[in-house]
Amino acid sequence: MNDDAFDCIIVGGGIAGLSAAMTCARKGLKFLLVERGSFNGAKNVSGGVLWGTRLNDLVPNYWEDDAGYERFVAHRRLTFLDGQSAFSVDFKSAHFHERPYTGLIVLRARFDAWLASKVEEAIAESPWPEDSLLAPDTLVTDLVVENGVVVGIKVGEEEFRARAVILAEGVNNLLTRKAGLQTGYVAADHMATGVKEVIKFKPGVVEERFQLAEGTGLTNEFVGFASGGVEGGGFLYTNRDSLSIGLVLNMKSMRENLGADKKIYDVLSDFKTHPAVRDMIAGGEVIEYSAHVVSTGDMRVMPKELYADGLLLAGECANLLLNSGKAIQGMDYAMESGILAAETVAQAKEAGDFSRNTLKLYREKLEASYVMKDLRRFQGAVKFLHNEAMFTKVPAVVNEFGRSFFTVTNEPTEKVPTLLRRAVDKHASLWEMIKIGIQGGRAL
Amino acid sequence: MSRTKISERLGLVRYRNQGRHDAKPHITVDTAICDSGCPHQCTTYVCPANCYTLNEEGKLRFQFEDCIECGTCLYACDQGAVTWNYPDPETGRGVEWTFG
Repeated sequence: MNDDAFDCIIVGGGIAGLSAAMTCARKGLKFLLVERGSFNGAKNVSGGVLWGTRLNDLVPNYWEDDAGYERFVAHRRLTFLDGQSAFSVDFKSAHFHERPYTGLIVLRARFDAWLASKVEEAIAESPWPEDSLLAPDTLVTDLVVENGVVVGIKVGEEEFRARAVILAEGVNNLLTRKAGLQTGYVAADHMATGVKEVIKFKPGVVEERFQLAEGTGLTNEFVGFASGGVEGGGFLYTNRDSLSIGLVLNMKSMRENLGADKKIYDVLSDFKTHPAVRDMIAGGEVIEYSAHVVSTGDMRVMPKELYADGLLLAGECANLLLNSGKAIQGMDYAMESGILAAETVAQAKEAGDFSRNTLKLYREKLEASYVMKDLRRFQGAVKFLHNEAMFTKVPAVVNEFGRSFFTVTNEPTEKVPTLLRRAVDKHASLWEMIKIGIQGGRAL
Repeated sequence: MSRTKISERLGLVRYRNQGRHDAKPHITVDTAICDSGCPHQCTTYVCPANCYTLNEEGKLRFQFEDCIECGTCLYACDQGAVTWNYPDPETGRGVEWTFG
């Protein structure tokens, strides 16, 4: 291998790629990160919340910086919707104010660009300040493979060589497929599309409307009316002076339930008309509309392996994402896997062996981490959320009960067990609800 | 309340090479497959940028100019009609998010 080869080439400047890059810089590796957008974050969309505290390891005390996040999560809400009502489980706690924060609301074009600026700083302090690079506007067209070993990337006619390549190309994983790690058609049943709007308000409105103290933010997920009969749910997150509002909709269910008179973006329009949602977004101006495919966390669509000779997969190109119903975890999995992939490359350099014999350590590290442990543990939850009743009958029953319980009239009143029974009988059967209760209990 | 038009939503999206009329398509669709045997033609209602439409004769038409590279059609089409690539930064089109 010639001397101008990199220790590592990273494909994709999202959170997985940038986390790998930061780790490479800290470990003294000479690396190249290529990003097809004109800046890091230019092509990235998320809901989105970055869960967990790992960012503090990459950028210690990041909150002292003008960090690229919007707000930290201090208030969480899960809302069941029928056509008229909203029944919420709501949790707000001063514990969430402790640092490092456990959830950050982000807008990716801002956040990723900020994280990239931190990587640039790390490069400047690394042994390779002139040689390690973040290269935007660069589309990788293929991998360079020699004798079954990945030794670099192709950018049009040009070749760049490295001892290892980390793919962090995102869920639309064309190179992962070319490398033969994910073959065949990826079933629409295990994939979803997120559609989203960013709605801007005058300064101060978001804090006042959502009762947010300095820097704190609200995450609100919705099931029921939100997804208009399609499997999936809605979300609303508070940014600095805007809201992110959107839906995540299962692709197979969209195929079966939408049509010419109700297209994907119409579901978003309808969601915004719900009385409870309408009040939250009133007076705002839509400033961006976006969409992106998102994995659901079903492990059946994961690539058959996460490494090959000279190659590692990090982030959502490996379908490392989990929607357990508790939270959608994708960006934290990207961060964790990006760090572990780069650590493995550093170990491979020390061992002088970039074959799968060393790179398999990546698999071991990931299996030992919370990423694979949770993915395995919550497969039941992923399947549970597939249950049609979860986005139809359950929210209907919950709101039927809410209406009867919270409405006070001048008639004699029934006690809770009777009200519950009536609500169940109107929209489902008792047995069905018991079954869902048991399944849900097991899944979570 | 009437639904927001998709043209209004896409009007908020920033594209690369927006002024360029000879931009190279990054996605190609074999519409003969869509028109002959597809049982759902779901791209016409699951594409968030409405790039897939039916013309007056009921034939499927695709345009890449409004594409926001979300990847939905890459997964939603189970008939093998969609060839999906990323746009070339120089000669292609594609999206550039302000917020993301």
